[in-house]
Amino acid sequence: MDRPPLTDAPAPRAGPPSGGFGRLSFGFLGVSVLSGVLLVPFYSPAAAWDSLENIQGGLAWGFFLRALHAYSSFAVLVTMALHVVQVLAARTERQLAAGVWWRSVILLPVTIAALLGGFVLRGDAEALAALAIWKRILESVPFAGAEIARLFLGSVPGDLGAVALHHAGTLTLLLWFFTAEHAGRLLPDVRGTVLAALVSLALAGTVPLPLGAPPAASPAHLLGPWSLLGLQGALVYLPPAAGWLLPLAFVLLLGLVRHAESPARRTLLAALAAACAVYAFFTVRVLLSAR
Amino acid sequence: MSSRRDFLGQLWTWTGRALIAASGLVLFRALRSSAPPVREVALDAAAVARAVASGGAAIGEIFVSGTAEAPVARSLACTHLGCRVAGAPGGFACPCHGSRFDAAGAPVAGPARAALARVSLARRGDAWIARL
Repeated sequence: MDRPPLTDAPAPRAGPPSGGFGRLSFGFLGVSVLSGVLLVPFYSPAAAWDSLENIQGGLAWGFFLRALHAYSSFAVLVTMALHVVQVLAARTERQLAAGVWWRSVILLPVTIAALLGGFVLRGDAEALAALAIWKRILESVPFAGAEIARLFLGSVPGDLGAVALHHAGTLTLLLWFFTAEHAGRLLPDVRGTVLAALVSLALAGTVPLPLGAPPAASPAHLLGPWSLLGLQGALVYLPPAAGWLLPLAFVLLLGLVRHAESPARRTLLAALAAACAVYAFFTVRVLLSAR
Repeated sequence: MSSRRDFLGQLWTWTGRALIAASGLVLFRALRSSAPPVREVALDAAAVARAVASGGAAIGEIFVSGTAEAPVARSLACTHLGCRVAGAPGGFACPCHGSRFDAAGAPVAGPARAALARVSLARRGDAWIARL
């Protein structure tokens, strides 16, 4: 029987060529959601600081669980950013349909909003400051700013219930749906999840996550979430509306990369790289000024 | 046959969009009507007297100075982005973006452009009621 001749064509790969960090990001999201669910019975948005103090000091393995949730959540953003760089470097963004690509791009601000929600839920001095700034930034949106602020942050001053619901509900569901659509699978794969779990466990076990300053404290410097330090630095010089305009501009530029041909694509990538460099500069500046 | 199916498909799509728009409108109206009212915070008269006697001190989110009979209150919320300012040499400083205010609450440096907001105080029994 004649066999078809062997060819030099490479065997098809199991996944998309630039999906390594993406799979890992989905795995970290799984670890983050699971550890977040485990924290739910011990956290109260009405007594955020007290419940966090109890989780940290009064609950067996509470400090570890909290660190696991925090580090796995941080890692979702880090691996997602690395995945974006990998995709852009490999020019594989057109493997996704336009709608899926845009929803995938929206994952970035949704992840940052979820992280900001988690930061605010600490209820410490830095968290309360972040909440006040978040409110002012949302209120600077024209026409419906105050309503948008109430939608996300609630209408009762000092009540973190709305933030908690969006953190654990709306934003997490959006993250999961868009990630699942992007990955073409409902659940993260075993390899990505196990690797993400091992990294998160190692970090939670070796790098303790301290409690912040009590809500009534008045430290000389307050720092926002690490992913938003660049924005904190930029807002010294820019009006509050820059707090939503700059992220929106970044997301639009990133989204447009899929539709641009060279040399417009190169220009967009250069603009994104410049924005990242400026952001890194402001991040370092804020960190240095707080020392 | 195909045109009837297309028509029904379009009908479902536009009905869905209309429902989403209507829900958005209802939510917007509800959010607009849920604006938080002016908050009243009761300050213990003895604490106010102590703050005044010491030349001015923070009570929660309010800085109280002036005289025991006519205390003056200012919000400690930075007029830039709302962080709580802290006492600093010569006035107040914002720990978030570095705005500085003099002892009277006027901005002297940093991104804040407006003075710390005055808070009205009214005596009610053994307390001063601050309206925020």
